Amino acid sequence: MRPFLTLTLFLATLAFFLVLYPLVAIFLDLTGEKIWLTLKDVEVWQSLRVSFAAATCAALLGAVLGVPVSYLLARGHLPRREIFESLLNIPIVIPHVAVGILLLNVLNHNAFLGRLFAPLGIHFVDTFWGLVAAMCFVSFSYVVSAALMGFSAVSEDLELAARTLGASPWYVFRKVTGPLIFPYLMRGFILAVARGVSEMGAILILAYYPKTASILLYERFENYGLSQVEAITALIVCVSLFLFAILTYFTRRAGEHA
Amino acid sequence: MLEARLKDRVGTLELEVSLKLPARSYTVMLGPSGAGKSHTLKLLAGLRRPRLAEIKLEGREISHLPPEQRSIVYLPQKNTLFPHLDVKGNVLFPFRARRLETPQDFVEEVAETLHISHLWERGVKHLSGGEAQRVALARAICARPKVLLLDEPLSSLDFHLKCELVEFLKLLPSRFGLSVLHVTHDPWEASFLAENLLLLEEGKIIFEGPFAAFLKDAPGVLGRRFRSFFRRFFAQEEAFR
Repeated sequence: MRPFLTLTLFLATLAFFLVLYPLVAIFLDLTGEKIWLTLKDVEVWQSLRVSFAAATCAALLGAVLGVPVSYLLARGHLPRREIFESLLNIPIVIPHVAVGILLLNVLNHNAFLGRLFAPLGIHFVDTFWGLVAAMCFVSFSYVVSAALMGFSAVSEDLELAARTLGASPWYVFRKVTGPLIFPYLMRGFILAVARGVSEMGAILILAYYPKTASILLYERFENYGLSQVEAITALIVCVSLFLFAILTYFTRRAGEHA
Repeated sequence: MLEARLKDRVGTLELEVSLKLPARSYTVMLGPSGAGKSHTLKLLAGLRRPRLAEIKLEGREISHLPPEQRSIVYLPQKNTLFPHLDVKGNVLFPFRARRLETPQDFVEEVAETLHISHLWERGVKHLSGGEAQRVALARAICARPKVLLLDEPLSSLDFHLKCELVEFLKLLPSRFGLSVLHVTHDPWEASFLAENLLLLEEGKIIFEGPFAAFLKDAPGVLGRRFRSFFRRFFAQEEAFR
């Protein structure tokens, strides 16, 4: 028993070390001057704003589209449900540069979808909407998976009982299913935002501008080297962790009340 | 009075059921697991779409109506209460769902009858099994149904709580003017509650009638098995006298 426990503890410690050490190490080499210069860098703050705004829009869009899909999968008694689930997970397995090329192929000015959205003033190449489209594509599966987990955790019997108590399907969704799956949805939403913020490959191809934090980091690293991006990286890590800590806190609270 | 003729297929089971529930009566549908009891309840409540359904409630055809318009309330076997609402939120749910004003006197009468007044503000996670079932019954009654469908309502309770809840269940038809269809595989429940009994075997009703008639004339292997149980059960009851 003892060797087993020791090995388990060692591997668990190693896992924590591998995750936390790079995060801590980036702060060790920082100087006050570097931090001050980064905090004054307007482009850095601008890129962070763009990243989180686009990732939030993408996650919201993912939720609007993903929740009905998950509901159908969970409650629709579809034959071969696992095939549909696999289809929705495709964005996770495609290399992200390839995702960018796939999206550029259908969203450029001459493509069908590009032309469809153009009259609405929505263009995708090197625009904010391009960022949203790319981030939505790569993060959509996270929202769907989380919502599906939520629907599976809520017994269908509760919904059926509510219907016979006089509630319409929409009322049941608003007052019974919705509140119960909300913590799951929020978890999916947070993961989707995180995934969107960290996306670079697809963005690099479809919408290099406006620059996201990942693109800015990459660009500065290419031009100036490692020593010049440490402070920006540390700032991005701090902002990301802070925002996700807040979101996670509120999700937990919502979960406790649900 | 509810009259229904239902046909459906559940997996490999061919369900073909005709039944009548007299007004203000307590009917128990007895049958082994997998006989189609729960599915029959869901078809009656409009929660599943059958191959064929003719359902008349007080002479009016209701099989085309959605569940919320049928005046039939279904109480599932598990997960009966909404876990994110307190007792009050659960009991008042039918009024809120229909945007009706809450009739305070009626709600108080229901709460008193089922002994849940003292639980009013409590979260449902803090209720015992018996309390949860009483709250679920109160909520069902507040929907003012003509028919109440109970799917094994006593199955998750221990003996003591079963005995307690049986007394509440007995009251329902006369006190609130509704017909109850109670599904179970437990002959003990049937012996305490059934005015009428339906015996379901492999998707078919093989006996329908008063409980007393069932004791004399229960058909088939399943009927004989249940009859033998009741004979021993009542014989032992005699021994206590």
